[in-house]
Amino acid sequence: MSDTLLEVENLRTVFHTDKETIHAVDGVSFDVQRGETVGLVGESGSGKSVTARSVLGLVEEPGVIEEGSIEFCGDELVGGNWDEHRGDIAIVFQDPMNSLNPVYTVGNQIKEALRIHQGLRGQAATDAAIELLEDVGIPDAARRVSEYPHQFSGGMRQRAVIAIALACDPDLLVCDEPTTALDVTIQAQILELLDELQREEDLGVLFITHDMGVIEETTDRVNVMYAGEFVESAPVEELFDDPKHPYTKGLLASIPGRTAGGDRLPTIEGEVPTSTSEPTECRFAPRCPHAFDACDEVHPERIAVGDPDADHETACLLYDDEFEESPPEDGVVADGGETA
Amino acid sequence: MSVNGSRVADAFTDGRTALWALVGLFLFLLEAGAVLNFVVSLTIDGLLAIPGVDAVGFLTAVENAVREIPTLLSRETIPNQGYFDGSGYEGTFLGLSPAMAWAFRATLVYLYAFAAFGWGVWGYRIYRREYRAADWTPRDDVFDRFRGHKWGIFGLVIVFMFVTMAVFAPALGPTTVDQNMRNSYGHEIDYWDSDSGSVETILVGDANLDSLSQGNDQNVEPWTYDDYGRFHPFGTMQDGSDLFTFLVVGSRISLVIGVLSVALSASIAATLALTSAYYKGRVDLSMVLVSDAVMAMPQLLLLIMLTTVLRESWINEVYSGGFLLALIFAFTGWTYMWRSIRGPALQISEREWIDAARSFGQRPTTIMRKHMLPYVTGYLLIYGSMTLGGAIISIAGLSYLGLGVAPPTPEWGRAVNLGQDYVRTGSWHISLIPGILITLVVTGFNALGDGIRDAIDPQSDSAGGETAGAGGGA
Repeated sequence: MSDTLLEVENLRTVFHTDKETIHAVDGVSFDVQRGETVGLVGESGSGKSVTARSVLGLVEEPGVIEEGSIEFCGDELVGGNWDEHRGDIAIVFQDPMNSLNPVYTVGNQIKEALRIHQGLRGQAATDAAIELLEDVGIPDAARRVSEYPHQFSGGMRQRAVIAIALACDPDLLVCDEPTTALDVTIQAQILELLDELQREEDLGVLFITHDMGVIEETTDRVNVMYAGEFVESAPVEELFDDPKHPYTKGLLASIPGRTAGGDRLPTIEGEVPTSTSEPTECRFAPRCPHAFDACDEVHPERIAVGDPDADHETACLLYDDEFEESPPEDGVVADGGETA
Repeated sequence: MSVNGSRVADAFTDGRTALWALVGLFLFLLEAGAVLNFVVSLTIDGLLAIPGVDAVGFLTAVENAVREIPTLLSRETIPNQGYFDGSGYEGTFLGLSPAMAWAFRATLVYLYAFAAFGWGVWGYRIYRREYRAADWTPRDDVFDRFRGHKWGIFGLVIVFMFVTMAVFAPALGPTTVDQNMRNSYGHEIDYWDSDSGSVETILVGDANLDSLSQGNDQNVEPWTYDDYGRFHPFGTMQDGSDLFTFLVVGSRISLVIGVLSVALSASIAATLALTSAYYKGRVDLSMVLVSDAVMAMPQLLLLIMLTTVLRESWINEVYSGGFLLALIFAFTGWTYMWRSIRGPALQISEREWIDAARSFGQRPTTIMRKHMLPYVTGYLLIYGSMTLGGAIISIAGLSYLGLGVAPPTPEWGRAVNLGQDYVRTGSWHISLIPGILITLVVTGFNALGDGIRDAIDPQSDSAGGETAGAGGGA
């Protein structure tokens, strides 16, 4: 078996609403290797979750995958072939209160997945469910297996959700902001658990978050997403050491504690636009401190930048030789240099 | 599994539970015959109407065998049809007057029904206190809110009395449908002839002819005896038969048609609502179109047309045409319920656990049944109880027009129709009493629906809610 689990090529997911067509995911490409954690980072509304849902085939009407390919272990999934790989790709959602059905016991919901993917029933299923709960670090699993989601704390619930995902015996785990709804200490525990499980099971992980700190800690490769597109992709160290795209720089600058001084945390003014048409310009240009004339007229292509060995790409005209403006010096912050 | 086993064992060693079970067994034994009779006769009526089933002999044998089982509340145990023999009553319970004997039996029936209800509540409380794992569940709040809802309680009492009437119909009437209406010339009664001063015998049919209620000249009022010593709690009808017996048996067919049509339309509505909420988009749109098309059909015209067209077919034989009515009601009425349930179903379909189940490959039907249905059953209950009132009004309306349930099967609407010529005379009771009963029962069902809605969803405004009971139309 090849080491590439997931290969996404030029994925376009659009939503046809009555008023307009929204390009939620607009031509993204990435792949996930076995044992690798790929991060997807961006603001709310940048298309991270739609990417995840596309990978799992959960895009619902009026949304549709219009173009591109999603290959899992070499099999094309686009076109309704998810059923053959159900369970090979599992997902952990953001809010564990919502991803567990409150009217069934936690054990019941784990057993549901076990029955489908491992054909376990009755006592065997219960034993397997208890084992899974123990694996994800729930104490007194034999008792808690018959408890309801409301009897679990937030972190416990997320562990239970992970147990359900593991019940499918997946190869690829998609984590859609799994720690966002949890408080910081629990976040750390869940991240540690995911890391441990990944090493044990040799899982590929697609990790979606808006938290740069979490990205730095957990991922191997990072894709920075903005308005449905990847504006920068790089190995995590490379990205944090040498960010190229002004948006990435802005994101990094707005992590508390990363910027020196301590006056005011820099922010990126404005918000993510909703992409309703084919881009003819750089979508970040209206918020970009380094935007110049060409940015409003040319849609930037992804080009290799930085360390030639590092597989570092960005979509910014600043790095395109055809255009005059030269790249900003490193260290200049993206909000226009108002910071200390 | 072992937990459940030990719980059952506990139940019999624990005094309170054992007592509860004993009381239940006692209550059941008192009425075992009647319960079986009710179930068996309903099933047999249904079976006989299906073409190709030729087991009349066997089925009637079963029916008769069941009828032989003694029960406390039967007319054999507490008879009211006796006669005066000059010195006292013969053949009535303890020699009471027929009116008292009948009243005693009717009271006993209702006491029994309320006792059975109380027994159920008692059992639930024991379960809640001793056996349920959780101390509190959201359902407890629902019950508590309902208990404080006076209007809802009123509805529950009315509905409960109506259901009791339907279930105990044979025991409640002062006489039987067979003896008094269907086959009145096949039965004889003894009566005290004050002219000759002796006990005479007369055919029921002839006695009925002398007990007509047709205006001021000839009238047997409510709560009186006729010339043959027969007691009529609601008076007689225009043909001399007993109105109370007619109404009691009529309640049965109203209830059966109502429940059947509502259950059918609720299951159609729930299935389609869950499907459209799960698949959304084009599936949803096509269902909106279908339901709009069905809604656009005039229900009354369709009813008249279909009952006429299908008059000769076997399906019109089941429950004197009641089954056909229920089917038509279900297939024209599901749209309203579907519309009401679609919203909540769409809401539920957005929850993440639906996506989670889809992501690990659960089948769509299982997701709908297991992860979506529990959230719409509350709405089904509310709209179901409200539509039931509407269905009962519609059935009565159709019978009033001479459609629907075929004579001689008693139906409330037909009683209203039969008595309408005498409304302004002394025989007002023939139309008025069934009319009041229909109003009361429909109000009861609507009140119950309101109560359930306020109990399930306290945020809903009971004043602003529109009642589906108005959907009767006919």
